[in-house]
Amino acid sequence: MEYDSQSPKFALPVDSDHKATEFRIFSIDKPHMRAFHLAWFSYFSCFLTTFAAAPLLPIIRDNLNLTTTGIGKAGIASVSGAVFARIAMGTLSDLFGPRLASASLLLLTAPAVFLFSMASSPFSFLFLRFCVGISLANFVPTLFWMSSMFSPPVVGTANGFAGGWGNFGGGATQLIMPLVFGIIQHNVGAAKFTAWRIAFQIPAVFQMLSAIAILLFGQDMPDGNFHRLEKSGDKPKDKFSNVFWHGVKNYRGWILALTYGYCFGVELTVDNIIAEYFYDRFNLKLHTAGMIAATFGLANIVSRPTGGVLSDLMARRFGMRGRLWTLWVVQTLGGVFCVILGRVGSVKASIGVMILFSLCCQSACGLTFGVVPFVSRRSLGVISGMIGGGGSLGAVMTQLIFFKGSEYSKETGLTLMGVMIICCTLPLTLIYFPQWGGMLSAPSSINTGTEEEYYMSEWTSVEKEKGFHRASVKFAENSRSERGKSDSLTRTSDDIRPTGNSTCLSSLYYINC
Amino acid sequence: MASRSEIVLASLLLFLSCLAETSDANGVVLFSSLPNTLEMIVSPHKPEQVMKPAEGSWTFGGTLKAGEDKLSISWRLNQSFSAGTTDSGYKTIKVKLCYAPVSQVDRGWRKTVDNLAKDKTCQFKIETRPYKHGSSKWKYIDWTIKHDVPSASYFVRAYAYDGAGVAVAYGQSTGPKKNYNIFEVQGITGRHKTLDVVSICFSAFSVLSLVGFFVVEKTRAKPT
Repeated sequence: MEYDSQSPKFALPVDSDHKATEFRIFSIDKPHMRAFHLAWFSYFSCFLTTFAAAPLLPIIRDNLNLTTTGIGKAGIASVSGAVFARIAMGTLSDLFGPRLASASLLLLTAPAVFLFSMASSPFSFLFLRFCVGISLANFVPTLFWMSSMFSPPVVGTANGFAGGWGNFGGGATQLIMPLVFGIIQHNVGAAKFTAWRIAFQIPAVFQMLSAIAILLFGQDMPDGNFHRLEKSGDKPKDKFSNVFWHGVKNYRGWILALTYGYCFGVELTVDNIIAEYFYDRFNLKLHTAGMIAATFGLANIVSRPTGGVLSDLMARRFGMRGRLWTLWVVQTLGGVFCVILGRVGSVKASIGVMILFSLCCQSACGLTFGVVPFVSRRSLGVISGMIGGGGSLGAVMTQLIFFKGSEYSKETGLTLMGVMIICCTLPLTLIYFPQWGGMLSAPSSINTGTEEEYYMSEWTSVEKEKGFHRASVKFAENSRSERGKSDSLTRTSDDIRPTGNSTCLSSLYYINC
Repeated sequence: MASRSEIVLASLLLFLSCLAETSDANGVVLFSSLPNTLEMIVSPHKPEQVMKPAEGSWTFGGTLKAGEDKLSISWRLNQSFSAGTTDSGYKTIKVKLCYAPVSQVDRGWRKTVDNLAKDKTCQFKIETRPYKHGSSKWKYIDWTIKHDVPSASYFVRAYAYDGAGVAVAYGQSTGPKKNYNIFEVQGITGRHKTLDVVSICFSAFSVLSLVGFFVVEKTRAKPT
């Protein structure tokens, strides 16, 4: 191991890619933990703004003369903007880096939140909710950023905390917005119909400021920003068509897109309908129903990170197969609890089952993104975008099928949705990595079943000659931990080394490979 | 002519029977059980211009503006009822602004439910005052429509409550089907020029800061 005096010093232990191998949540050291805090806070602010309308609906619906149908349509609109935006954000992250992608998205959607001050009709309300909802696509650059900063053994944890603390905004907004509204109404003395418009400016300012913070204090990768790295030749500039093609070609991305729709998508749907469910079924006060609804979103602060941590824990012992099995078990369990939620008849039992359901559903989101960073290295952004988009699509579909109009009562809708979750989680059994195996099959025993082969298959020989694949090589080596404990001991070591780099999975502070 | 004590006894019995009709064992008061013993008239004019409206729909000729315009509301015990009707049980009158059916369509939060405790038809309190017995004079109030009244169609209803706070009778400015004498109120938009300008400035700043950042990055990258 040579020490190069030009290697940058990092506050956290890093691997050969300079990605952190530890996750220290209370540190804000550059670049890893600082990136984490910038990322989760910006994602949190997107949830604040997207769902800010929900707790203030009793006032907005009278001001804008909305109907129940109109409110339902606006709710669907608020989650549908992100479906395609997430795929676009994935591509942009791959090409321009998560920092620029994220900040651009936030700064361009913030005006939609500010302009709620001028909303004057049901149509303008729907249109603005649609535009604001596009900001939820920020999920993709956030998790791309975490996958760029954190090494495979801790990537699930980093993704889980960033995603969970962001999603937590959906619950926090149910408490923050009424509070802000109350202060404006009573302390500033504004009329009801003006106070809510002023209240909307607050989360919008948060979103804007977090974007500016990302631009000023963040960097794309441990070694610097995309732009500078590309100019100095350390990072090759990739072509959109290739990145996109390798992303959509990978069947694992499509399967995970489907299953993510039945944990994250279901979570968004429940965010939108659960307050009304408790209010109507159990005749609770609107305020109480709102607090219970908030609890569902607030659980994210622990449940999604738990999923991520669990994924990393299982990977240590059982590798990728452990990650996949845990994901399947937890998400299916979530479906079971959803079925039960639709059937219980008492408030206390309902709240209990809802909490169990939220823990499983949100952990499944964290577990999913323990698997995603490994699906592709070259097209990580596109894959993350597809899966994230699948999540949003799941929210749109479940709301359309089960909760629009009065075809099903809300409790029947919940039960049927639970059955659909169980069915749509089964495709996870089809995911297979040649180097690590799948849920039902062991890894390939022939020589083509290596990490290098898997990630190298994304590059042509021409590109390899130019050295474009170097980052993938490093990642392949670092991801060997996905074999799990027993496997890495029994499998014959691989001799395929395309470049002269030696393997270094070291936890020393100065790394040069 | 019956003696005074007999009249008192009769009224007491009637009062008690009214109570028994209007609430069940749980104390739940159903709207359908309340007698319509009060007549009400609503108009934007002063009481001396009040005319008893004919059956058939009419409007005020233009919408009333919340926060600006006034309603003149008048009520009294219905004189055309038989002598058996008595208002001796009425202690308080509460006058409320209520949503007309057209404004309740597809809006579950304004639903009419027979159980008065859950009924959401009348959401705005206009006036509460003690009830004056034995008078055939019209009582009236001039009410400025409050700022928080949203744009919708309305009518006015008065509930009479007994000493225990239980509703015992009502009257309204429209018929049982609520299909005439419905007036419209135009609520405030809640928008303000200052707020519009502030939000436009914030939005412009948001977009311009992104543009500015790109420009700075490009000029910084050039010298390399």
